[in-house]
Amino acid sequence: MELGTIEREIYVDAPPEVVFEVVSSPDHVSRWWPDEARYEPVPGASGEIVFGDPAAGGKVQQLTVVEARPPRTFSFRWTHEPGETAAEGNSLLVTFELTPSGDGTLLRMTETGFREMGWEVAVLERQYAEHVTGWDHFLPRLTRYVATLEVRP
Amino acid sequence: MAEQVDDDLWSAIGDPTRRRMLDLLLIEGAGTATTLGRRLPVTRQAVAKHLAVLDRAGLVHALPAGREKRYRVDEAQLARAAEQLASVGSAWDARLQRIKRIAETIHRTQQDRQD
Repeated sequence: MELGTIEREIYVDAPPEVVFEVVSSPDHVSRWWPDEARYEPVPGASGEIVFGDPAAGGKVQQLTVVEARPPRTFSFRWTHEPGETAAEGNSLLVTFELTPSGDGTLLRMTETGFREMGWEVAVLERQYAEHVTGWDHFLPRLTRYVATLEVRP
Repeated sequence: MAEQVDDDLWSAIGDPTRRRMLDLLLIEGAGTATTLGRRLPVTRQAVAKHLAVLDRAGLVHALPAGREKRYRVDEAQLARAAEQLASVGSAWDARLQRIKRIAETIHRTQQDRQD
């Protein structure tokens, strides 16, 4: 792995159209990453994602959509300062690429910009990681989400 | 304090010339500003400045050797830098697993409705 870039690939047993919705729509994104996501999933749109309760040590992060080409590519920049235009050097770029594979989708994710942004962001990311992957945080929300799905025998 | 150290560490690794210098030091075991300057398209003075940045970040240590300092890589500190990024990677592993689970659940639900 090159320092400064994270690359991951995962097979999802669902068509690209479904996977694209899950990685791009704010309603779905807030189920796998932040607590709240507010943005329009269209290129150039800016919004924010919220981790925890900002009044109690949580954090609000800026997010700007770079590319949205359903059902193939969705990318955004995040972590730039409020009021700044997201660009290389002030934010991390996350890109999802979807490729049909059999009956499912090969989902490729890259996150770049750590090198340009400095070490501090990698440390912050790790803190979010611990926060978001913690079962005490995620499990109640997962249970709530599963309960809303209509599952038939 | 710990965060300040991390910031220096990351900035130190953030420069391509300094990464190349770390590579050369790892391959050759040790080096001076003069020996590194011969292998890189920058002046000896520039190499000395980069070595000072790496030294401040704890990525290299200087040993006095004659008129010039000899530098060695601190492999533990370098491993620490790599480990911090690896932990960001594991956060994405967890997020992608959730993306997979959500997408597959939606897909199954849609199929059930069609049946």
